[in-house]
Amino acid sequence: MSQSQQQVFRLKAGGRIDRSRTLSFTFNGQHYQGHPGDTLASALLANGVDIVNRSFKYSRPRGIVAAGAEEPNAIVQLGRAEAAQVPNVRATQQALFDGLAACSTNGWPNVQRDLMGLVGKLGGRFMPPGFYYKTFMAPASMWLTYEKYIRKAAGLGRSPMEADPDSYDHLHQHCDVLVIGAGAAGLSAALAAARGGARVMVADEQEEMGGSLLGSRETLDGTSADQWVARVLEELAGCENVTLLPRTTANGYHDHNFVTLHERRTEHLGETAPVVNGRRPVRSRMHRVRAGQVILATGAHERPLVYAGNDAPGNLLASAVSTYIRRYGVVPGRQLVLSTSNDDGYRAALDWKEAGCEVVAVVDARDAPAGDWVDAARAQGIKIITGSAVIEAKGSNRVTAARVAKIDIEAFKVSSPVQELACDTIASSGGYSPVIHLASHTGARPTWRDDILGFVPGLVKGVHACGGANGTYALGDVLAEGVEAGIKAAAATGHAAPTVNPPSVERLQQGPAVALFQVPHEKPSLRGPKQFVDLQNDVTAAGIELATREGFESIEHIKRYTAMGFGTDQGKLGNINGMAIAARCLNRSIPEVGTTVFRPNYTPVTFGAIVGRHCRDLFDPERYTALHQWHVERGAEFEDVGQWKRPWYYPQKVNGKTETMHEAVARECLAVREKVGILDASTLGKIDIQGPDAREFLARIYTNKWEKLAVGKCRYGLMCKDDGMVTDDGVTSCLAENHFLMTTTTGGAAAILEWLELWHQTEWPELDVYFSSVTDHWATMTITGPESRKLLAEMTDIDLDRDSFKFMEWRAGKVAGVPARVYRISFTGELTFEINVQANYAMHVWQTLFKHGEKYGLTPYGTETMHVLRAEKGFIIVGQETDGSVTPEDLGMQWCVGYDKPFSWIGKRALTRSDTKRENRKQLVGLRPKDPTVVLEEGAQIVFDPKHAIPMPMAGHVTSSYYSPILDSGFALAVVKGGLKKMGETVYLPMADGQVHEAEIVSTIFYDPKGERQNV
Amino acid sequence: MSNAVTFDTRTDTAIPVESPLAFSYRQSGAPRAGSSSRVQLRERAMLGHLILRGGAIVLDEAVRDVLGISLPGKPQALVQDTSGERSIQWLSPDEWLVIVPGGEEFPLETQLRERLGNSHYAISDVSGGQTALEITGEAARELLMKAVIYDVHPSNFPVGKGVTTVFAKATTILRRPSEERWELVVRRSFADYCYRWLLDAAAEYSVNVEQ
Repeated sequence: MSQSQQQVFRLKAGGRIDRSRTLSFTFNGQHYQGHPGDTLASALLANGVDIVNRSFKYSRPRGIVAAGAEEPNAIVQLGRAEAAQVPNVRATQQALFDGLAACSTNGWPNVQRDLMGLVGKLGGRFMPPGFYYKTFMAPASMWLTYEKYIRKAAGLGRSPMEADPDSYDHLHQHCDVLVIGAGAAGLSAALAAARGGARVMVADEQEEMGGSLLGSRETLDGTSADQWVARVLEELAGCENVTLLPRTTANGYHDHNFVTLHERRTEHLGETAPVVNGRRPVRSRMHRVRAGQVILATGAHERPLVYAGNDAPGNLLASAVSTYIRRYGVVPGRQLVLSTSNDDGYRAALDWKEAGCEVVAVVDARDAPAGDWVDAARAQGIKIITGSAVIEAKGSNRVTAARVAKIDIEAFKVSSPVQELACDTIASSGGYSPVIHLASHTGARPTWRDDILGFVPGLVKGVHACGGANGTYALGDVLAEGVEAGIKAAAATGHAAPTVNPPSVERLQQGPAVALFQVPHEKPSLRGPKQFVDLQNDVTAAGIELATREGFESIEHIKRYTAMGFGTDQGKLGNINGMAIAARCLNRSIPEVGTTVFRPNYTPVTFGAIVGRHCRDLFDPERYTALHQWHVERGAEFEDVGQWKRPWYYPQKVNGKTETMHEAVARECLAVREKVGILDASTLGKIDIQGPDAREFLARIYTNKWEKLAVGKCRYGLMCKDDGMVTDDGVTSCLAENHFLMTTTTGGAAAILEWLELWHQTEWPELDVYFSSVTDHWATMTITGPESRKLLAEMTDIDLDRDSFKFMEWRAGKVAGVPARVYRISFTGELTFEINVQANYAMHVWQTLFKHGEKYGLTPYGTETMHVLRAEKGFIIVGQETDGSVTPEDLGMQWCVGYDKPFSWIGKRALTRSDTKRENRKQLVGLRPKDPTVVLEEGAQIVFDPKHAIPMPMAGHVTSSYYSPILDSGFALAVVKGGLKKMGETVYLPMADGQVHEAEIVSTIFYDPKGERQNV
Repeated sequence: MSNAVTFDTRTDTAIPVESPLAFSYRQSGAPRAGSSSRVQLRERAMLGHLILRGGAIVLDEAVRDVLGISLPGKPQALVQDTSGERSIQWLSPDEWLVIVPGGEEFPLETQLRERLGNSHYAISDVSGGQTALEITGEAARELLMKAVIYDVHPSNFPVGKGVTTVFAKATTILRRPSEERWELVVRRSFADYCYRWLLDAAAEYSVNVEQ
């Protein structure tokens, strides 16, 4: 078969396609050909493919309706390879490339012979809006089962099951003027703003910039419209201050003129980005634009008329017919009937006739149409039937005839006998709906204009709508409005208004349009054949009428009940018709009914573009200490603490077998208790505090006293929020009279620094004190255990004698030849030295410690062992023992509260509230399971009476629970109501599996209760 | 003296040091792209970094005397000495970042403290906690646009400007010491994340890493 035979609907000449090159593609497994410049839709039409999908709910055959973003039916699954599957692609927006493979998203076993269609046909009448809610309501537990089958039956494509080979990224953009849409209005605006010197970005969603000018009948400055487009684009491309982004959709308009632009960089070249120089370029890119001013030149979508059978293949928008003929050189049929309410629709008939095909009739709803294009049609000898409309399309797999009759719009009825006109294509035009989606994203309510029978964007600061988006359709006015918007926007960003004369165009005479949305039928909507409003969601006029009868009056409720304007369609074709029908049924005006809110995204955006580079290894920052490589090489398992990667435990190979976590932690724990262990504690937050009022500041921010902490000493501090609840803790050291070093929890470091600044800047600015984070500057190595002094003594000049360097003191000196501050503080209860050196030296010091440490059994341990050891000592972890509802008193830490400090401290007042003074608060206690082999579950609920009827009163929960190798038993910390007065009592922990554990309330200190080990 | 303690964290012996990116070079490599490279990365490692906090007037007099350059009083300003080796950057109304050649930070802190006497101020040595990453090449600005939300267009980001901003999901200081050079000052713990991010984003420009 020759190519011309295959593309039977392709014109011999005309259009913006390259006939010298042929591209092959498949659709639903069939092979077809098209040309560069085609969209998938235009190529399918050229090949005479009528049915492109089955409808969502009724499974009716559907064909291509539109030529752009508003296409509701031709939504395809793209991709040959599994990894390249893309759902939700509009065939009208997908450029054809060689080897493209697409298939319909609905239809089983295929779109031509569809079994689900039988269900739709048989059940169609019985599937009103709310069908699923009403039918599958009971029993509620079955919904998940129903849903599985409903989802299978109806869907809009599937996601790939393999990893995406492509990469995506973001680009943060800033400009003075962002122009969205590069048609007549957008290009004029861009030109004006660019000549004024503003930084301009122009985004256009189509393959080529130019919008409707690319297929226009009109001339600008005496040349064809597309030549004017080429000239303007050339000038813009030459401007350093202009960025042109074709194939770029403004998908979301967010607050403060933040607009996201989705640029498809390689989707027109192949299903994955073609490799260039051995590398795959970015497939699509999200431009995150902060714009000074935004010009909405998004144009308008033609509104179809709502008549019976308007969903069969062969029913198209009038403007789409023109676009396919003029831009793609495809006539989507042989015999046309045009049903219109306005002059613009006539262009389809004129283009059809010029393409050499038969125009059966133009059916005009107006009694006496008059205007240049009406005259042109008459001059061409085209039959015009006035005061009438196509009330029904016949045919199911393709239009076979149009049923035409006179209509009375006011009375909403057919007022003459019906005549049947044989045809294969019905084009309809009900006027235009400005594309107001982006303005709606900002929350601006659109305004109805009776003169244009459409909604225009509501006012938004810094936004200029022009051209079709603003309800202005005459080309001359569109160009002038674009120029004006460009000048205004440039001026608003401080760029002098330039003089730009819009090109001259011939002014057309046009007669007024008539307001026609739903076309009356001989039968009432509820009993007549289906009249579709929203083709993508299978919403009919009858469905909307039924919704109003069932009591839905708000358009937002009608939308949700019928699904009108849902999903990826966002009501592009159907919403205004739907509102008009609701208005008629409710006997209100359209502005009274109002619109629903259009939401981002304007058209679907691939997840890759949203994620950009923030995926896989780069999903979130991983913060490393200076010793990270050592931990990796030692085989550590890591734990996420905030964004830090901290060694969790270091499993060893024993007899060829890798230790379990339990084995490793037991070994590490005993090493610390019996010999010496080492922990990388660099992640602890460290804040350098300087100033004469530093001490006073500490006294106000911490609960305990600081006035007597001498230079060289360290003290544990507890910090509350102003509600009296514990928020952080850590050791603060006095480095000099006016100089302190505060440590915070690893996760709290940044928030605590902000907390300090907040109180200093807003409440106590009179205190002379400054804070700086030094967390990353210092690497901290904790050596702990009975042998730690001997080990450190080998490599430091600091006097480590127990009387000259006491517990809770710090000293400066050298460790392994490196200047170091060493702190004698302990989180394990053992003799401990925390060695701090500048992080760049950390690796050397750490390795030296191991060189010397081997003979002492130096063992690296991770956070899990740290947790066990500190819990054995009853040391809390903020965020584990506390959850924002725990006071120092609940923790039994009254010793850490300076009730009589002279100046009130944060949390003091809250601790005198009746609730914080209440007897029965949950208090921190130890739990000893009656069965020592039991390790209670963290989070397990505690009850006093396990025989109590369900629901049992909850008495508290387990906050920390471990197996203690040194005690050889399980043990736990828990918060229990009134627990501090219940020492020795038994509590119960009923588990999900029916077991009930028993435990005794004991002191939180399980090991070395007198604290002798850390003081040796 | 303000009664704060100073501490020289450096040692003059031949003790090995590791810059924040040492791990990253071993783990992720340092691509060499040669002449086809459109963007170059270089760590300016082991420099002296000090945070100055205090009143602008008091600090300005001191740094003029000691360092010979003035304290930038204007927000987002970066001042350098003639060699470009020493710089002061405005960070917030009472906070500046001083970067000097490695080893100069301790004598500088000592001199500043002597000069500042009993005024209220703070100087914190953060040399181990951050590193400077220099980005050059024709694609430098576009590379930054991928990661940095701040507007890096020359009209908004002239030479001599420096800001604290977001780099991917980390906080960073971004500065422009000269026409061709951009500099990121990143926290040590975030350095590897930033480096891997830069390598990934710059791959399309044939990134060249100078070690």
